[in-house]
Amino acid sequence: MKKLVLASLLLALSSSVTFADTIKVGVVGPFSGPAALQGKNFQAGINAWLAVNGNTIGDDTIEIVYRDLPAPDPAQSAALTQELIVSEGVQYLAGYYYTPDAMAAAPILEEGNVPMVVFNAATSAIVNASPYVVRTSFTTWQTSTPMAAVARQRGIDKVITVVSDYGPGVDSEAAFVAGFTGAGGEIVESVRMPMNTNDFSPMMQRIKDSGAEAVFAFLPAGPATLGFVQAYVENGLKDAGVTLLAPGDLTQEPDLAALGDNALGLLTTFHYAVSHDSPENSAFVEAASKAIGSASELSFPAVGAYDGMYVISKMIEATGGNQDAAAAVEAVKGLSWVSPRGPVSINPENRHLTQNIYLREVALEDGQYINKEIQTFENQGDPGWKAP
Amino acid sequence: MSDISLTSTKPVWQRTAMRDLIAVLILAAVAALGYLLFPSNLALLTRIIAVMLLVLSLDLVTGYSGVATLGHATVFGAGAYAAGIFAAKFGVTDPLLMLAIGALAGAIAGALSSLIILRGHGLSQLVLSIAVVSLAHEAANKLSAWTGGSDGLSGIAPAPLLGLFRFDLFGRTAFIMAVVLLIAVFVVLRIIVRSPFGMLCRGIKQDPIRVRAMGAPVYFTLVKMYAIAGAVAGLGGALSAIATKVVGLDSLSFTMSAEALVMLVLGGTGKLYGAMIGTLVFVWFEDRVSAINPFHWLTIVGVLLVIVVLFAPKGLTGAAETLWTRLRRQS
Repeated sequence: MKKLVLASLLLALSSSVTFADTIKVGVVGPFSGPAALQGKNFQAGINAWLAVNGNTIGDDTIEIVYRDLPAPDPAQSAALTQELIVSEGVQYLAGYYYTPDAMAAAPILEEGNVPMVVFNAATSAIVNASPYVVRTSFTTWQTSTPMAAVARQRGIDKVITVVSDYGPGVDSEAAFVAGFTGAGGEIVESVRMPMNTNDFSPMMQRIKDSGAEAVFAFLPAGPATLGFVQAYVENGLKDAGVTLLAPGDLTQEPDLAALGDNALGLLTTFHYAVSHDSPENSAFVEAASKAIGSASELSFPAVGAYDGMYVISKMIEATGGNQDAAAAVEAVKGLSWVSPRGPVSINPENRHLTQNIYLREVALEDGQYINKEIQTFENQGDPGWKAP
Repeated sequence: MSDISLTSTKPVWQRTAMRDLIAVLILAAVAALGYLLFPSNLALLTRIIAVMLLVLSLDLVTGYSGVATLGHATVFGAGAYAAGIFAAKFGVTDPLLMLAIGALAGAIAGALSSLIILRGHGLSQLVLSIAVVSLAHEAANKLSAWTGGSDGLSGIAPAPLLGLFRFDLFGRTAFIMAVVLLIAVFVVLRIIVRSPFGMLCRGIKQDPIRVRAMGAPVYFTLVKMYAIAGAVAGLGGALSAIATKVVGLDSLSFTMSAEALVMLVLGGTGKLYGAMIGTLVFVWFEDRVSAINPFHWLTIVGVLLVIVVLFAPKGLTGAAETLWTRLRRQS
């Protein structure tokens, strides 16, 4: 009898220790509107991770709660984040495509005892906004800086920079100019174009007149990119041998088919190409293509989300499913693993990914346009980050 | 009939004061209900009040004074950025002071933009108003050293309200401050729209030529009204900056201006409560639908707007009033 009581007591104790729980992860992203494709990629990355690894960690089940934020809107982001924490009771926050939205969510993390894993927003300063921010994407500085080295290696001395006049464009310009002049190159002119520019012919004339050997460009992915590359080819700059250099935002995979032959040979630096050759990536691409419905829609936010889910799973493991944001973030500092994009690790100092940045060339393989990786810059940190 | 003759024996100010008191009580009751029923949605409710101030302000210039504008977010954004910049760059973190700065900046922005917008009439006025908001948006984007550009202005850390009440995670302090602010603004606006000045504005809306023939200044009256409306929207902007702690370019956007107009039309123009009901219904509905279906909610909102505009062209309050008078006639 005594044994039985003891056994049942033990059972009761142990069951309270391994109390099975549902752990909610709140995901904020653009799931409708013009950037819906990027939100769809968030979802594909999450679903791919769940499909490969299952939705349970120990005894805990992961549940995803989606909230839509179609355009940068910090007030709405703050309201959604607060509602996710207070009313949905999420233990983890994730997603955030635009910088202002991530910035608006950061101030309430500490009080809510919730870590935030940024799947995309790419301004260096976001990680300084709260000690509970971890980022699994990239920064514009990180992807743009290696391009300066590429330009110098190819013997280019004079470059004109042309960027869209908004935060990421300005970041990209600053990163390239710092790297290029640091390596002894000369910037002949820096032009910032208004965001809604659609006619790029005058710009191409200006590039021609500047006498630069190459043009470094940054535009947000979408219609503007298509117009820019088309104008570059039609105005004869490509034939004249003016090299077009850009971070990979310009040639994200879903845009490649529309860019077509105009984009062939275009050089971009970025952290992820869907065509990356590794067993991890083929498993990821298979699962994510199934999740998104069509492989041609797959793009870089999916890999940010996939790795973000990995980081969250490690956080849940480390805290045993208890809500302890400080311990969760502490546990993933210095974490390193092989992502579909290559080997990565979380810099304990700024909670941002150290990763390879690849030089890619747009190429036609098996009837499909791809970003073919031709050079690797290993273990790149974020050159744009300044300690607070 | 008897009760009408009874009330009409009282002086006018007493009757209107009585009505104002009832309106304030209803407002306070609705706010208290919101606080009790939705304790975890206070951030949303605070956001709704901030937008309400913008829509109220739009109602002053469009509904009461007949100025067509699709650029009214200019004054909202001016208040938000002014309060935000003073807090983030100069350490002015007292929330009441931030509100005052927002109101002042809104009033200045209102008066200045009205100088441009009032130059046109009808369609050209609409185009000018869009130009004004686009200019303001681009200026905020360009001056990124001050405004943070498209990354948003962050680093706003409001001090506790009155030195006692911290702005907490649940948003209680921000909500209560917002409700008190809304009620105060509402009472002041009731007095303004009833005043001879408010009547003059309505007169201008109906027939500006006649008002001018009577010897009243049309242009200057509208500039004054614009400044008052600017202060109201500026308060909304400052409230948003305090509650969100980040100011983004969206607060100066054409989209925001257009949405404010949609909310006003939804509620009913030319009525203060119309502006408030329109905002409450629109933002609340949007939030619920987008939570239920984050992927296709915009379609649902669009369809419902079409239905409202087709079947209730005077807005929700206009439809309710029509229904009310019809019911009374029947009984």
